[in-house]
Amino acid sequence: MPKEIYLVKVGMTMTEGMVSEWFIADGAEVIKGELLYALETEKINLDVDADASGTVRHSVETGINLAPGDVVGYIYEAGEAIPETSLTIAVTEPAVSIEAAPDAQAKPSAPLVAEVTQRLKSSPAARRLAGELKVDITALTGTGPAGRIVEADVLLASSGPGPVKASPLARRLAEQRGIDLSTVRGSGPGGRIVQADLDGLESRPAIKAAGTAGSAAQVIPMKGMRKTIAERMQQSLQNSAQLSMDMLAGMDDAVSMRTQLLKEWEGEARPTYTDFVVKATAKALRLHPQMNSVFAPTGITLLDEIHIGIAVAVAEGLLVPVIRNADQLSLKEIAVESARLASSAREGSLGLDDYAGGTFTLSALGMYGVDSFTPIINQPQSGILGINRIFDGLAWDQDRPIKTKQMNLSLTWDHRVIDGAPAAEFLATVVELISQPYRLLV
Amino acid sequence: MNEFDLMVIGGGPGGYAAAIRASQLGLSVALAEKEALGGTCLNWGCIPTKSLLHSAELLRDLGDAAQLGINLGEVQFDLSVMVSESRRAAEKLSQGIQHLMKKNNVRIFAGDAVISAPGLVRVGEAEILADNIIVATGASPRRLGAIEPDGKLIWGAREAMTPGFLPERLLIVGAGAIGVEFASFYAALNSKVTLLEVAAQILPVEDSEIAELAATAFRAQGIEILTGCSLENLESIETVTALIDGEAREFDAVILSVGVQANLSGVGVDKLGLELIDGFIAVNEVQQTNLPGIYAIGDVTGAPCLAHKATHEAMIAAEKIAGLQPHPIQKKRIPGCTYSYPQIASIGLKEADLKGRPFKVGRFPLYANGKAVVSHQTDGLVKTLFDAESGELLGAHLIGEGVTELIHGFAIAIGLEATEESLIQTIFPHPTVSEAMHESVLNAFGRTLHL
Repeated sequence: MPKEIYLVKVGMTMTEGMVSEWFIADGAEVIKGELLYALETEKINLDVDADASGTVRHSVETGINLAPGDVVGYIYEAGEAIPETSLTIAVTEPAVSIEAAPDAQAKPSAPLVAEVTQRLKSSPAARRLAGELKVDITALTGTGPAGRIVEADVLLASSGPGPVKASPLARRLAEQRGIDLSTVRGSGPGGRIVQADLDGLESRPAIKAAGTAGSAAQVIPMKGMRKTIAERMQQSLQNSAQLSMDMLAGMDDAVSMRTQLLKEWEGEARPTYTDFVVKATAKALRLHPQMNSVFAPTGITLLDEIHIGIAVAVAEGLLVPVIRNADQLSLKEIAVESARLASSAREGSLGLDDYAGGTFTLSALGMYGVDSFTPIINQPQSGILGINRIFDGLAWDQDRPIKTKQMNLSLTWDHRVIDGAPAAEFLATVVELISQPYRLLV
Repeated sequence: MNEFDLMVIGGGPGGYAAAIRASQLGLSVALAEKEALGGTCLNWGCIPTKSLLHSAELLRDLGDAAQLGINLGEVQFDLSVMVSESRRAAEKLSQGIQHLMKKNNVRIFAGDAVISAPGLVRVGEAEILADNIIVATGASPRRLGAIEPDGKLIWGAREAMTPGFLPERLLIVGAGAIGVEFASFYAALNSKVTLLEVAAQILPVEDSEIAELAATAFRAQGIEILTGCSLENLESIETVTALIDGEAREFDAVILSVGVQANLSGVGVDKLGLELIDGFIAVNEVQQTNLPGIYAIGDVTGAPCLAHKATHEAMIAAEKIAGLQPHPIQKKRIPGCTYSYPQIASIGLKEADLKGRPFKVGRFPLYANGKAVVSHQTDGLVKTLFDAESGELLGAHLIGEGVTELIHGFAIAIGLEATEESLIQTIFPHPTVSEAMHESVLNAFGRTLHL
């Protein structure tokens, strides 16, 4: 009996993923423990190894979004009858989605195809189109006679270029200007996208600036990390009442203390200003528990534990590894842990639990010279703190201006959870702790 | 008191179409018309002139019949029969409109309509309450200074299409579509026609290359063309003496065809405070005027004064009133047709409009088209203009026999925003004159087959 190859589930929040690469070709031999396929999810890329030896048969192509637990192929042990043709072809047929036929997953052979096809009524044209457009036909509801799935159903479900209605001119202009037609609202008859709909959109695509003038625009596919970031950031803004405020922190003491600590801890830890803010924030969250909370329509849950996520820019986008129980860690421990997380994030070797469970997030843009911004809350959290540049500011000694190191902290919070005054109190606590950094050492 | 959802003032191709569409959408509709249903187009414009031009075309063809092996002897014509036939056609079609009004439950009020206030219209004794009013009163020939048609020797369009005699020497003032159509008609009947135009080219709204080809063809038919000239005076006694750029010329009749002006008098425009632009009613993209509940469509809203533009605006207004969301008219997508000999048809931008923008031009002469050759109609050109970067079809300009029946192909292409690729991919039937459309597109992209 062949052994199923599953799309492994990594982390509690994984809802979809894809085989981004098969390391063992269809029909080739694999030895248990050998790398079998590369998994790409919204958050992570992971190499999955084989848990059995035998002949590999792929049942999905690379790049198709699946749910964790879906069968992506089989390993046939020596002596087992191996199907002649690859099941990849059959992915266009409903039978292959094992979810649709849980009772039959043990025998992915011809009889199964017949069985499932019979249960799932669909027109041959619909099946062919589903294959072309890579639509999982088993997930569709048919609108044809007796619930039969027809071509129109597949088109509707497809996110491919098929269903975008646009005039030939609009298509060409969109291509020339690098505009993604799926983001354009059509005003023509039947919602067709016409030339006029593209007017004023010339500057929309971020991609255009990257290309040289006149070169073909490129399209960044909405998948994996980019897709997740897009969805979650938009959702966050749509689903909460976010607002931001800035507060200045005096940094003279932090700067001199860091210089001192760098020497003192040499070879053990290199504290960054972000680490200072992690520690200050963790302490402040203890004093202002409302900021360490999760909103639900039924009530606000104040969280006991304080886990601080730090946004880290990586080539593909953004990762937010989490420093767990930050309030219980010393500044030195925080420095060590944050350095480990940052380098793991850039190497792509973060463990699954390095992401999970953040209760508040920090985002640092100071190294880019930013003085203020409005970070977006990493939901379901209730706040995010933006860390800005340290600069030479002015303070007043009586009537005399004196040069002093300063830094702006930008807090975004969810007004559904906390009002302005308590939010300002929280921010003031962070500022106070940063300005008197010796308090971070106790 | 009569109450309707919609009162349409004017029964031309704008008004009656608005009434039908509104009725289709479930509105109760009334329509006021002071003359015959069908308006200028049907009674005193498009239809009767096309009847006369059809007679002229047949006469011309019969004159050439010997070349095709048909000997008819001397061909004679009867102008009065041509005219009565054109009146019969107009009458028949007007009755057709009456039938359509009845079929669509449109209540007709005969007489002059006056809007007393928004929502209230008076037609003779009748007072009509209507939530919505569509002004579709059309336009009339514009006067040329103090010169007025006298109905005897100085004609407007109406007299020109119902002539009491055939003028030997005819002066036509204004070489727009109406002027050149009359020139073609009277030239076919062997009048000595002089066509006078104040602009630098005849057919001022057309592409200048096409207008120049038309002028050449007209001259070959014996029509005298005076461009850049103005008429200073007309004296009508037994003949007409015209003072053209200081020179006195004698004619047997004169046709004045120098454009149109909106029919506003009597509608109550002044009292209402209806906003005008250059003498035409100002409307927004869904044909609404500055007054709530009052819409205007067709010629009364200004150029281009074409029946099909009025009909299209009628759909927009009726659908807007019915609560739908109609698509605004796009004026660069309105085709125009002139039924002269040769015919002229065009849509979109002219070559002169494209200064400073990269474009491609395609030309295909009809002498290289098989069907045109066998039909002895080889004078003509299909000219197409494309945006060089996007491949957008920007304009199409055709001259030649039958081109008025071809232009819709380009109208569809522009309407659907076809690029050159879509047109090149389209299979045109052989042997037809329409192949010249295809070839013109091919020519613009260096792919002509038959040149």
